[in-house]
Amino acid sequence: MSSWLAVKAVVARELSKVFRQKARLISSMVRPMIWLLVIGSGVGSMLHGDAAENYLSFLVPGIVAMTLLFAALLSALTLVYDKEFGVMRMMLIAPISHYWIVLSKLIAATITAMVQAILLLALLVVIGLVDWQVALWLLLPAFVTAICCAAIGGLIAAWSKTLDNFAVIMNFFIFPVFFLSGALYPVSQLPEILKYVVLINPFSYGVDLMKHAVPGSQPDFSAATDMAVLVLFSVIAITLACWRFSKESVHEPLFHRVTGGKRR
Amino acid sequence: MASENKPLAIHTDGLTKQYGQAVAVNELDLNIEAGQFYGLLGPNGAGKSTTIHMLTTMTSMSAGEAFIDGLSVRDNPVEIRGSVGLVFQDSALDRTMSADENLYFAAALYNLPKKQAKQRIDELLAVFGIEKHRHKKLLALSGGQRRAVDIARGVLHRPKVLFLDEPTIGLDLPNRRAIWRFVEQLRKEEGMTVFLTTHYLEEAAACDRVDFIQQGQLQQGGAPTTLINELAQFILEIDCVDVEQVKHQLTPRFGTPISEDQHLSFRINDEHVDFSALQISLGKAVEAMQWRKPNLNDVYLWRVCPPQDGALV
Repeated sequence: MSSWLAVKAVVARELSKVFRQKARLISSMVRPMIWLLVIGSGVGSMLHGDAAENYLSFLVPGIVAMTLLFAALLSALTLVYDKEFGVMRMMLIAPISHYWIVLSKLIAATITAMVQAILLLALLVVIGLVDWQVALWLLLPAFVTAICCAAIGGLIAAWSKTLDNFAVIMNFFIFPVFFLSGALYPVSQLPEILKYVVLINPFSYGVDLMKHAVPGSQPDFSAATDMAVLVLFSVIAITLACWRFSKESVHEPLFHRVTGGKRR
Repeated sequence: MASENKPLAIHTDGLTKQYGQAVAVNELDLNIEAGQFYGLLGPNGAGKSTTIHMLTTMTSMSAGEAFIDGLSVRDNPVEIRGSVGLVFQDSALDRTMSADENLYFAAALYNLPKKQAKQRIDELLAVFGIEKHRHKKLLALSGGQRRAVDIARGVLHRPKVLFLDEPTIGLDLPNRRAIWRFVEQLRKEEGMTVFLTTHYLEEAAACDRVDFIQQGQLQQGGAPTTLINELAQFILEIDCVDVEQVKHQLTPRFGTPISEDQHLSFRINDEHVDFSALQISLGKAVEAMQWRKPNLNDVYLWRVCPPQDGALV
């Protein structure tokens, strides 16, 4: 039986929820703008001349990447949400292999992240912080980074049993991943030990790939390295998430919880 | 695998589920004919839901084999999920979406083209009389209406076998009756095999066959009317002042009763018993006494909770 209609349905359901939640879309614009204007202006004021202006340009790839990271992770959270509220059972009983559920959710997470990134870029173009050609050049690296962020979200969601669990992991994960990615400061200026953390953080390569599209930014790695790491990490992470989710033990507690609570 | 030329919709051979040392379902052998209305009855934690979850591929089997419509459940999980419908004990629907959105979503999961899905959804909502609520969010619907949407979701794709895991739990009588009318209609019109678990035994009385399960062990049952007739001619219920005296007087004649505090239930197989004389002979040891025809609740009690040293287990 073809699974494409099911994949389309899962993706459409996620997207319709995103577009229904206008506040979520607006807040997804507000957060990066605050970072850009407050942190960018604050840190920029400590710099002088070209350096101050360059810092704002430097921040743009990082802020777009941050939008992708938050959007994709929150979207992947719906895997846990659907488990928690029992809706996942509707998908599990459908005649599709269970890995399609993860793939559909991650496709939706990627699209959601891209929609928010495009809205942000449009806003940045309108207020004159980014040139429209740069915004267009950013789309491809943003797309690859969005897939990587969705893969990270999928990985976390596949191992999270409850929303609380997911929230804890997110708090321990999302900020270190963001701060130690070179999004806010050049990797070369970090202490030696933190440089190694940046190197093992796949998100760093997404930020770096986007820097290639912004004139004046100073990427730390080659675009080929960034692409290779992002693609390799995404393939491995998505495969692991699908494998984990297809294991019966992951969704079995779901049935025990709703059908009497304890195993007999 | 068939009797009287009727193919088997469900066949299991030594179906077993183990969690570590605990055996949830123990060597279950089932043969359910196509089109049959089958009930699996038992107390909480007896293994009913685990059996359903194994048959619908939601839980793996530890041992044994199971076949749905001739297909191995173990080897063809995706195909099996396409040919069964499962209505869970509690709703599997998205409460933030409308009834319509939920059903279209479910239809797409079953690969139903939009036109076909629309036709089927219209038809099912009409049967339940909830067409005018179709655009309301599920949260705004009553418990009965939500359950109806849940059942509609389970049968959207016209499954060959419909599993109903305590489908009417928590519903009031009119809603329960409406749901059973619908299930009956489905069986008549679509020849669907229905596998039911329920705690409302009067609902199981409509089954073609019921079996009992306790601690994962299947006890062979039969047609509800046959089981009721075989149980006893009458059930004698006595509220006792002196339980021991009543037991002492009646047990030799009628056998061990089921007892619960001051209440005793005896099976009476002699249709010529003079109950008035019996009450007089028991004298002040009895507070109240009644005799009635047995029903499926009695069969369940005597099968699943038989008298053990006079105490209800």
